[in-house]
Amino acid sequence: MNAIVESLLLASTITIGLAVTSALVGMVLAIILALLESTAIKWVNHLTKLFIMLLRGLPELLVVLLVYFGLSQLIFIITGQFVEISAFFCGVLALSTIFAAYVSQILRGALQAISPGQWEAGQALGMGQLTIFFRLILPQVWRHALPALGNQWLVLLKDTALVSLIGVNDIMKQAQLAAAATWEPFNWFLAAALIYLVITLVSQYGLKKASLYVTRFERGGH
Amino acid sequence: MLAGLYGYIADLSEGVLMTLSLTFSSLLVGTIIAVIGTLLLTVKYKSVYWLVKCYLTLFTGTPLLVQIFLIYYGSGQFEWLKESRAWVLLSEPWFCAVLALSLNCGAYTTLLFHGALSSINRGQWESCQSLGMSHSQTLKVLMPYALKRAYPAYSNEVVLLLKGSSLASTITIMDIMGWSQRINAQTYDTLMVFGAAGLLYLLLNLIITVFMRLFEKRLLAFEQV
Repeated sequence: MNAIVESLLLASTITIGLAVTSALVGMVLAIILALLESTAIKWVNHLTKLFIMLLRGLPELLVVLLVYFGLSQLIFIITGQFVEISAFFCGVLALSTIFAAYVSQILRGALQAISPGQWEAGQALGMGQLTIFFRLILPQVWRHALPALGNQWLVLLKDTALVSLIGVNDIMKQAQLAAAATWEPFNWFLAAALIYLVITLVSQYGLKKASLYVTRFERGGH
Repeated sequence: MLAGLYGYIADLSEGVLMTLSLTFSSLLVGTIIAVIGTLLLTVKYKSVYWLVKCYLTLFTGTPLLVQIFLIYYGSGQFEWLKESRAWVLLSEPWFCAVLALSLNCGAYTTLLFHGALSSINRGQWESCQSLGMSHSQTLKVLMPYALKRAYPAYSNEVVLLLKGSSLASTITIMDIMGWSQRINAQTYDTLMVFGAAGLLYLLLNLIITVFMRLFEKRLLAFEQV
């Protein structure tokens, strides 16, 4: 019994690790997608738009399975060799791509919400482009994007449960193993649900704090 | 290659009806739950309010997959449940999937409707009060208005539900996802099989979105003056 509880808690760290890694990789992908979507080259940004639209229309489960089974098939077609790819890697790849598809839209929206006057104001003060972006624009982007980003993080956290289906040893997988071993599926799936709930609630608390922090100037406090 | 893809789409189309039945049954039940939930949230009783809040937290804070497993596998743990009449339903994967999907969709939609209702100008509540309307009469006036305002976000919820219905394949239901997993296991032609499944899901999503858009124009006509 204790061993099972221990392995469930250990699996929680895998779920959190998976979510954090996917969020970080997804964030980088999202910035790339957002940049590609706003380039002047027409076909590039049409292609990016199409890619994002497709990803948003596909079930997450399908994307996870497609990456896991499809990637090794793709490698087989190209190189003629069968390579087994780690489930964790495929999970991160699938989840971060899905995350990026949504986040790139959030970032684009937030960037557009900032008036061009801010860039001009920076130039008038003699700041360089990069300085303007990092010192003036980015802090304001966070303010617009944070609530939606936080939401997307919570969605990502819940989507990580899907990777148990390709064999990653996360909370869900451990709960399944425990349920099969003890014949108490309700207890173990409930325990898994409660762990997810705790992670979600802690995230929500943190996000609330963060949003108070990024809006501190708006609210008049210093 | 295209012939292969076409063949797989034909094979998978056996699951389309199942996917649609899961989606629309859950949508119907979920929406009813959401309307009731929204009404309950406006009631003054603290205990009712907290009960609904608990339901919302539980179902929006945990993965759908856990909810499906909890209902389908979890119910088998209790002997008394197995001997009761409810077992006829609970041993049925389709029923469990629809139950989980409806409860999940109901929770998210309640948040949506409640948000729309609370975003209605305070003045409207006050004018209803000053006309001497009771709580239920006020809701009768303001609810349709709130529901219409929530509609654009609601169509998004339908797409999420369609995508979520693919999880039903994990409890042996043969929807599009279920068929594609079976055919994938038989042929190992992963890219084509899942590609075909993806095309079907995209097509369904497209049809749903177009229909919801058309309907939205009529529903929100009153705002476009």
